[in-house]
Amino acid sequence: MRSGALTRMAEIRANLPAARARGLKRWFEPTRIGRMSPAGSIIVYALLILWSAFVLFPFYWLAVTSFKLPIDVFEGPSYLPWVDFTPNLHAWADLLDFSAKSPLAETLTPYRNSVIIAFCSTALCVLVGSMAAYALARIEYKPKLGTILIFVVLMIGAAVAVGVHGVDLWVAGAVAGALFILLARSVGRYFRRSAGNADILFWMISQRILPPVVAVVPIYMMFQRVGLLDTHLAIILTYTVVNLPIVVWLMHDFFASIPVDLEESAQLDGASRLMTFFEIVIPLARAGLAATTLLVLILSWNEYLVALFLSTTKAQTLPILVAGMNGGEKGILWWTMAVVIIIMIVPVIAMALLLQRFISKGILLGAVKG
Amino acid sequence: MSEVGAAAGNAESAGNAEPAAAGGGTHARSRARRLSIRGLNKWFGANHVVKDLSLAVEPSEFLVLLGPSGCGKTTALRIIAGLEAADSGRVLLGDTDVTDELPKYRDIAMVFQSYALYPHKTVAENIGFPLKVRGLKGEERAAAVRDAAAQVHMEDLLERYPRQLSGGQRQRVALARAIVRRPSAFLMDEPLSNLDAKLRGYMRAELKHMQHELGVTTVYVTHDQVEAMTLAHRVAILDEGALQQIGTPREVYDNPANLFVAGFMGSPPMNFVRGRIENGRFESGGGGGVGVPVEGARDVAEAVMGFRPEDAEVADPGTGLFDATVYAAELTGDVTLVTVALGEDASLSIKMPKEYDVDFDRKVAVRFPLERGFLFDAATGDRLPARFISAPAG
Repeated sequence: MRSGALTRMAEIRANLPAARARGLKRWFEPTRIGRMSPAGSIIVYALLILWSAFVLFPFYWLAVTSFKLPIDVFEGPSYLPWVDFTPNLHAWADLLDFSAKSPLAETLTPYRNSVIIAFCSTALCVLVGSMAAYALARIEYKPKLGTILIFVVLMIGAAVAVGVHGVDLWVAGAVAGALFILLARSVGRYFRRSAGNADILFWMISQRILPPVVAVVPIYMMFQRVGLLDTHLAIILTYTVVNLPIVVWLMHDFFASIPVDLEESAQLDGASRLMTFFEIVIPLARAGLAATTLLVLILSWNEYLVALFLSTTKAQTLPILVAGMNGGEKGILWWTMAVVIIIMIVPVIAMALLLQRFISKGILLGAVKG
Repeated sequence: MSEVGAAAGNAESAGNAEPAAAGGGTHARSRARRLSIRGLNKWFGANHVVKDLSLAVEPSEFLVLLGPSGCGKTTALRIIAGLEAADSGRVLLGDTDVTDELPKYRDIAMVFQSYALYPHKTVAENIGFPLKVRGLKGEERAAAVRDAAAQVHMEDLLERYPRQLSGGQRQRVALARAIVRRPSAFLMDEPLSNLDAKLRGYMRAELKHMQHELGVTTVYVTHDQVEAMTLAHRVAILDEGALQQIGTPREVYDNPANLFVAGFMGSPPMNFVRGRIENGRFESGGGGGVGVPVEGARDVAEAVMGFRPEDAEVADPGTGLFDATVYAAELTGDVTLVTVALGEDASLSIKMPKEYDVDFDRKVAVRFPLERGFLFDAATGDRLPARFISAPAG
């Protein structure tokens, strides 16, 4: 058996120089080490070009439409400026016309709202989220399952008291809070089973499993109750909470990859925990921080559902405005819509370009070992 | 562990620490403080990693904590640094109890095995970080950084980043960052283990020179007994969290307190032959055919005979203490290392002059000066107060 295999291997070995691919087969083998095969590169580039065209066409369509006259839009599809139609700046001219009640003048407030809401919530979210992620990456927490259960039971009790028996919200909250502290301190020590950091992380990300549409009505009622509907604050807070799990989840991995030696060394060098965080940890995690910031910014910038519920006029954001543009007495103003969408995309692209230079590899090079 | 041996080593070496303190820089000298730990215990879950460890490091002394990996030496160092809390015991720096102090209030600097340089900071910023944290600014800080960098010959590379440095240079930056604030004590956690052999030898000498010059109390952790021998004023040997012996390198080498210390020190380590002591005679088990008269010992059912490779020699069969078979002969450069097989389970190393050559599987005799032989109790590991005597003629 074994000698049979050896004979076969000897045959193959003898044929090696002649076994090199010939004819059509040569197209499917790399010509040199480290290269793609000719057929492979043709297929790969063809697919890439096709996909790019698919992805980029809407942007092209948008740009082209913003330069069309209404007649060019309604006369069926036309693609190439100067060939299919003559470009016209009328839609862009509206942008500078604030005096009249032009459709673009109405975008100014939502635009400002979008900028305020997206940037504030992103900043808050990244700050709080990365600090939470750092804590979860470096400190071991052991919340007792029994204590968590007490909390849940008390919360349900308070909700029932308020909803069914008409107890005042603040009274119920205060009683439940006091009871929780009392019970957690007295009974808590008898609980054995506890959760770990991995459980906390999973709990956080599990908040994103729930479809937002389920939560949005309670959120609406909550802000209605405290009188914050149609304010920046309500939307900023909601976006921050909604995006927090993403920041914690992403940043946790970045922080965990930083050698703990660096932080211990900083501690011995005399730095406080906060100083270590801002002097050592954050600069080393800045690639992750930039990527996370960008992601959260895009999510807040484009968010539709929550904004739809929480804003009516004063705090309206751009996605709501654009979505609302397909009605009205003048019909759908496709050219105006194209302009609004283009100026809506600009800040995000600018931020992407700005943050891109931080998203570079090898920042930890030279930290440890040789 | 042998408490008697440890205590004896301690008493003897208290006198030995003094010569080490003589000479060196005067400024640093006055700052050097005694570092002592008392009854230190540490558990990781059910794992008792540091067992009732007590040590005193004299001012300006270079103490090496030596032991195999997992013996608790790094944990002990981290407790001294304040990175880990002890379950019981005290850490004292000078007359101050620092057991519950945060690391930053301890006035102790540490060099990590990984160097732990801040990769986003230049060499100058790395060295200057401890000063920056303490609020030193401008020219004052720059001057201190230049001084520290000059001490480790890095003054020309201050603007580089750690990633642009070689392993040895990174090591120096880590050292400079430790010395820049003139701490009361240095802690070093295997600082040379990431360097290649040649550089390690060089940095070892440099480290020893620098410690001598600065005169800072130093605790150095390593598993490399050559490093321990060459660097230390005194060596503390740990096994499974417990102190085995403490003393000057010569003491622990020539006068090991127990089987573990004997087997850990030396390269290759001490040779051991298992057997028993009966009627004033050591007899080897396992068919080795060793029989040597012993003086001053009661009968021990499980005893171990030990001798160092460099004390022994190989001779013609029948002319030594016992005969064995040559298993291999290796020329290491300065010596020929002969490995012989004795009986079924014992393999012994003997250092012979480099000119010596012998065929494999040859029968040879092994002999060593009887006063250089050791006897241990295999059950407890303790050294036996016995010595070999020459057999009566005939």
